[in-house]
Amino acid sequence: MKNSFLVLLLIAFTFPVFGIEVVSLPLPKSDKIVVKLMFRNGSMMDPKGMEGLTNLTSSLLLDGGTSKLSSGQVNELLYPLAARNYSSTDKEVSTFTFEFHKDHESILVPLIIDFFMQPGFHEEDFQRLKSNQLNYVNEVIRASSDEEYSKMALEDLLFRGTNYQHMVNGTTSGLEKITLEAVRNHFKSSYTTEGLMLGIAGNYSAGMLATLQNAFNKLPAGSGVKSVAGKANTPNGIEVEIISKTNALGSAIFTGFPLPVTRKDADFAALMVANSWLGEHRKSYSRLYQKIREQRSMNYGDYSYIEWYENGGSNMLPQPGYPRSSNYFSIWIRPVQTAEGLIKQYPELSAITVGHAHFALRMAIKEMKTITDNGFTKEDFELTRDFLRSYIKLYIQTPAKQLGFLMDSKFYGRKDYIAELDGQLAKLTLADVNAAMKKYWQTENMFITIVTDDSEAEPLKKSLMNNEVSPMSYSDALKASLPATLLQEDTEVSKVPLNVKKVTIVDSDKTFR
Amino acid sequence: MRILTPIILLCLLTATVTAKDILPYPIQQKDMPNGLKVVTIPYDSPGLAAFYIVVRVGSRDEIEKGKTGFAHFFEHMMFRGTDKYSKEQYSDVMKSIGASANANTSLDRTVYHMTGNASKLETMFELEADRFQFLKYSVQDFKTEAGAVKGEYTKNNSSPYSRLYESVLNTAFDIHTYKHTTMGFLEDIVDMPNQYDFSLEFFKRYYRPEYCTIIVVGDVTSDRVNALAEKYFGKWERGNYVTSILQEPVQTATRYFHLQVPQFPPYLDIKFKTPAFSLENNDYHALSILSQVLFSERSELYKKLVVKEQTARNISGGVYPTRDPYLFSASVSLVKAESMAALKKEILDAIEQSKKTPVSAEILKATKDRIRYSFAMSMDSPDAIANAVALYTWVTGDPSSINRSYELFESVTAADIQRVAEKYLVPSRMTIATISPDEKPILD
Repeated sequence: MKNSFLVLLLIAFTFPVFGIEVVSLPLPKSDKIVVKLMFRNGSMMDPKGMEGLTNLTSSLLLDGGTSKLSSGQVNELLYPLAARNYSSTDKEVSTFTFEFHKDHESILVPLIIDFFMQPGFHEEDFQRLKSNQLNYVNEVIRASSDEEYSKMALEDLLFRGTNYQHMVNGTTSGLEKITLEAVRNHFKSSYTTEGLMLGIAGNYSAGMLATLQNAFNKLPAGSGVKSVAGKANTPNGIEVEIISKTNALGSAIFTGFPLPVTRKDADFAALMVANSWLGEHRKSYSRLYQKIREQRSMNYGDYSYIEWYENGGSNMLPQPGYPRSSNYFSIWIRPVQTAEGLIKQYPELSAITVGHAHFALRMAIKEMKTITDNGFTKEDFELTRDFLRSYIKLYIQTPAKQLGFLMDSKFYGRKDYIAELDGQLAKLTLADVNAAMKKYWQTENMFITIVTDDSEAEPLKKSLMNNEVSPMSYSDALKASLPATLLQEDTEVSKVPLNVKKVTIVDSDKTFR
Repeated sequence: MRILTPIILLCLLTATVTAKDILPYPIQQKDMPNGLKVVTIPYDSPGLAAFYIVVRVGSRDEIEKGKTGFAHFFEHMMFRGTDKYSKEQYSDVMKSIGASANANTSLDRTVYHMTGNASKLETMFELEADRFQFLKYSVQDFKTEAGAVKGEYTKNNSSPYSRLYESVLNTAFDIHTYKHTTMGFLEDIVDMPNQYDFSLEFFKRYYRPEYCTIIVVGDVTSDRVNALAEKYFGKWERGNYVTSILQEPVQTATRYFHLQVPQFPPYLDIKFKTPAFSLENNDYHALSILSQVLFSERSELYKKLVVKEQTARNISGGVYPTRDPYLFSASVSLVKAESMAALKKEILDAIEQSKKTPVSAEILKATKDRIRYSFAMSMDSPDAIANAVALYTWVTGDPSSINRSYELFESVTAADIQRVAEKYLVPSRMTIATISPDEKPILD
C-alpha cells in the first residue's frame, strides 16, 4: 500500500507556546490560505434556559459585522475576493473557518481579528439571525428532511436531561429568551483563550501567523472551570420514539446506544473496522446496505457510525470540526415505505397495515447481532482493514480538511489522527476487532427514533410493542423474481424478537420546544 | 419541430492549454478513433488520482412517455455487475482499492467517479472498462434496484423545496424533456421494474464511446493514462444513436404554481426561460453575472430585504449551464407569507431596473473578480478539478471549453447585461412558484 499522501502531513507543526495552541501547515505551492479558530465552547456551554446561545453568538460574530464595518460593508469587502467565512457550532467546540486567496492576506487578517476583538453585535443583525435560528427550530427541521429530523430526535432522546440533549440550534423556549445582552455576556465568558486553537494552512506570509497569534492571545483568559460533557443515557431495553407528522411519504429511522470510546482510545481503530464492514457511510460494500437496499430495495441506503457524522445526506466523507468526548453508536436507516404509500403503489398490498420500518429494524439489528456474536472471518477483516488504510487518506484531500483533521487530533490528545490511525490499523488483529465488538456492541438496549406519517404511527407502535411478525411486503412483480433463499430469510427476519420495552408517539409539533 | 442533437462546439484535437487560461493546469487530451475522449490533468497530489467518466446522457434524453427518471435509474444499474465481475466481486475489488467511488445523474449527463490511490489506476480502468462495455444484470437485480430509486424519491420528497422543484419544471415546460426532474415522476418510478427490455436498449444507445469522456486528474501522466485507455477501452465499439428532443414552444404568458405547506417558511421562486449554455455568445455569462449583481449578499436587494427591513430570510439567484434552454432563477425565503406580493414586486422591479440602468463599472469588475477568485480557490484537489472539467465536458462536449467559458465571463459588458435582461427576463417567459400556508398565494 502506497502511503505517500502522509508526506503532506509530516510538514505540519504544532506550537503549544504562549497561551493559545497553534497548528500550522505551510503549503508554499498553494494559492490559498485557510485560517481556523476552534473554541472549546460548543452548545453544551449554553446556559440552561438559553439553548442555542452559542450557535447564535457564533453566527453573529461572523455575520454581524464589526465595530468598524456593518455586516453589509463586510459583504461588500469580501464580495470581489470570493473569500469564504463560515462557522460551525457543535456540542463541544465552535469552529470558525476563513478561506481566501493569498493575494488577499492583508485584507483578511485584520478583518479576522476584528471579528473577535471588535465584534459588531448590532441589534438588527442580532434580530435577523435570531429569527432565522428560531425558524429553523420551529419549522425547518420538522419539514425539510425527515432523515436529519430523526437524527436530531435520536440525540434528544439519548442525551435527555443533559447538556448534550438540545440541538446546537437550540430550543424554541431557549431562543425566545436570548437577548443581545446575553450574547455579549456569553461572548465574554465563553470565547476565551482557554482551549482555543488557531490553525493556519496554505501559502501564508512569515508574519501572518505571529500577527494572528498575538491578537488572539489578547482574548480573555477564561474562568478555568471546565464543563463536563453529558453522557448518553443507557436505554432500558429497546425504547422507541415515533414522531408523527402529516404527509410523510416514508419512515426515517435512527437507532443508537452509548459508546464509551472515542478517537483518543486504542479500541477505536478496531471498532472502525467492525463498523466499516457493517455500515460504512455511503458504501455499497457494507452489510446493512447489501441486505436492506441492494437485496431488498427497501430504501436508498443503510449505514452505521461509531461517532457523529456531520450532514450525512450531503457529505460522502467525514468532515472535521465535530470532535466529541461523549459518544454513541448509531444506525441510520434511510426512509422506508409506509403502509399507506405501498397500498397506493401496489393494489395487491391492500391488506397490509404496517410498512417496512419494523422489518428493516429487525434486519439491521439481526445483522449487527450476528457479526458481534460470530466475529469476522480473516478475509473480511483483512479486506476491510486494508480498505480503511487507503480510504482514510481521502479524508484530507484539501488544505482545509488537512488542517481541520489536525486540529481535531489535538482535541483527542493526538498529534495527527489520520497518520496515527494508519499505524493502528496496520497493527490490528482479527482478535482485536472481534473482542472490541463483543465489548462495546449489543442489540438488547437501544434508543430508536422514527419520523413517519400519522397513518403509520399507531399501527407501527402496536407492531413494535407486541413484537408482531412483520412480513416483508413486496409488489407481485418484484416478489416473482426473488429467489426462494431470500424469501426464506425474510420469513426468519420477520420473526426476530426485539427487546422492545417502550414505544411512545410524539406529535411533530411537540419536538424541540 | 426542431431536432436538437449533441453539438461538438470546438475541434477536439490533442492539445495543451496555455498558462494564461483560467485552469492553471494543462489539459492533455487524446481523441480515440472510436470517439472516446481521454483527458489527463497532472496535479500535485502525491499518490492520489481522481478518475471520472462523463456520459452525455441525462434526463434530457428521456424522450419516451413513461420513462422519466430512467437515466438516473440506469446509473444505479451500472453497479450491478458483469460476467467477469459480479456485483459482489465488483464491490470486493472496489473495497480492496480503498477508493471513494460513486455516480450521479443530472439533466444532461451521468458522471461516474472514483478517487483513490494513483497506484491502482490500472484497476480503475479495468473495472470501468468492463462494466461500460459488458454490463450484465439479471431481471431480479433490475426489479430490485428500482425500489432503491423509489427510496431515493421518498427521502427527497420530505422537502417542500424538492416537491416544488418537481412541479415548477412540470409547469414551466410543455414538451421538452426538462419538464421532468432527473428523479422522474413517481408513477414512472413505480413502473420501473417492468422496463427491463428498455434498459437493454438504453445501454445500447448511450453507453458508447462517442458519448463518453474519461478525465483523470492527479499523480498521473498522460502517457500512462492514454496507454491504459487504449488497452481497456480501445476495442469499445462506437454506436450510432442520436437523441431527438422536441423543442419547447415559445411561452406566451406567465405561469403559476403554488404548494400549500403549513408551518414552513414561505417561499417565492421566480423563473424565466433562458437560453442554453453557449460558447458562441456571452448570453449565459451575462445572465450569470446579472444574477450575482441582483441577488448576492452584496446586492442592494439583499441589504434592503434581508438586512434592513428583514422581510426576507434569504434571497438567491442563478442560472444553470444546460444543453437546451432552461431557467434563470430568483428565489426568496420570506419571513411572513403576507409579504409575498411586496417581495415579488421588489424582485421584478430590480430586474426592470437592470434593463434601464447599466451596472456600474465597479460592481461589474468586482463580480468578475469574484468569479475568477472563486474558481481559483476551488481548484484545490483532484476531485474539484475533475468536477470542474466534467461540467464543461457535458455541457459543450469539449473539456477545454472551461477556459473559453471564463474568457466569455471577462467579455461581458454592462450593455450585455442590459441586453440579456431585456431579452429574457420578461413576463411571457416567467413562471412563478410559491410555498405558503395559504390555499392560494397573494401575489398582487
